[in-house]
Amino acid sequence: MNRDAITVERFYTGHSARLDLKLLGGAAGLKRVIREPTVNRPGLALAGHTKYFARKRVQVMGHAEVTYLKTLRREERQQRYEMLFSYKLPCVIFCRDLAPDRDCLRAAEVKDVPILKSSLITMKFINLATLALEQLFAPRASEMGSLVDIHGVGVLIRGDSGIGKSESILALIERGYSLVADDMTKVMLVDGRDVVGTSSELTRNHMEIRGIGIVNVAAMFGAKSVRQEKRIDLVVTLKAWDEVKDVDRLGMEEAHMEILGIPLPHMTIPVRPGRDLARLIEVAALHTKLRRAGHNPARELNERLVAQMAGAKRGL
Amino acid sequence: MSAAKEKVGDTVITRELVVSNKVGIHARPAAMFVKIASRYACDIFLEKDGEKINGKSIMGLLMLAAGPGSKLTLQVSGKDAAMAVAEIEDLFQRKFDEE
Repeated sequence: MNRDAITVERFYTGHSARLDLKLLGGAAGLKRVIREPTVNRPGLALAGHTKYFARKRVQVMGHAEVTYLKTLRREERQQRYEMLFSYKLPCVIFCRDLAPDRDCLRAAEVKDVPILKSSLITMKFINLATLALEQLFAPRASEMGSLVDIHGVGVLIRGDSGIGKSESILALIERGYSLVADDMTKVMLVDGRDVVGTSSELTRNHMEIRGIGIVNVAAMFGAKSVRQEKRIDLVVTLKAWDEVKDVDRLGMEEAHMEILGIPLPHMTIPVRPGRDLARLIEVAALHTKLRRAGHNPARELNERLVAQMAGAKRGL
Repeated sequence: MSAAKEKVGDTVITRELVVSNKVGIHARPAAMFVKIASRYACDIFLEKDGEKINGKSIMGLLMLAAGPGSKLTLQVSGKDAAMAVAEIEDLFQRKFDEE
């Protein structure tokens, strides 16, 4: 589902501030592709063991590698650099502000291998870089629907245009909940488990209301009315009353809808003039919250009912 | 995408469109597009670089940030699809009445 390859350039431009990255050389190789969402310490490869070398990963040089290289004679060191850069590595990053020597930079320039450095200590860098890479590699998609945070429950509201989505979202915002995305929600799978939604940066904090136009929600309702991203916990589909044939009257079973392969709780709410949609969505969110805590009112009621009937049969 | 409605039996009309006005699809052309799309009952989707949006959503169209020269894929399905496609193609050819 990733549309574009994860290039060193994307990694560098997207995370240079957080990882304190600086490009030292080999800029021509910035289009190289990172093929695995993790890093590798090339110590063993530098020492000559290249039978198993994770060359598809970002190569991280720390104290261990740099100190080892210093023990070698210059010609030997040059050979190791040439050997290292002859592999199709994405890039090499020096941590702790360790500086690569001139031979290293020259050899990298010949093969167009980007060389970067970071001021972070190696362990910290590896942790942050792995997280950053995982995020870059996370499956993504766009979902049609608006995302609202209701008491910590992320609700994706779907429905055909004109069904009353914007009105209900507006009412939810007025009740103090926050808008994450209007109409189009960008979703990303985090840790292979959570579906996290956000809006496109371009349209963030804005929504369209028919008859009024585009409004800036944050400017109108304040900072609390917007939120940048939220895990999706519930999908609510608004549907015209007569289109919903088989409406769930009990809510005993949980329906699901798959987003990025993860089944999310799904409710279909039939729409009819006079129904307070915002209130219904709010209740759906709170209901989901209770359910997640282990409550199922329909089932609990039914259990009491069954117990009572069993008691009556026994003549109690 | 998973949210896209798939009606069984409907054929999908697909067209490649190129944005040819000077500025690209900014607010006004986006509004023109959505206005046309909303008049039809059929499902209208627009895709750019793998990003698919609902053609009846103004926020969706703005999000595409389709500059001049960008290539869009139009996907229309439903009973009045052919008419919608014709009108949308005409809108692109007219460069959104801008030039």
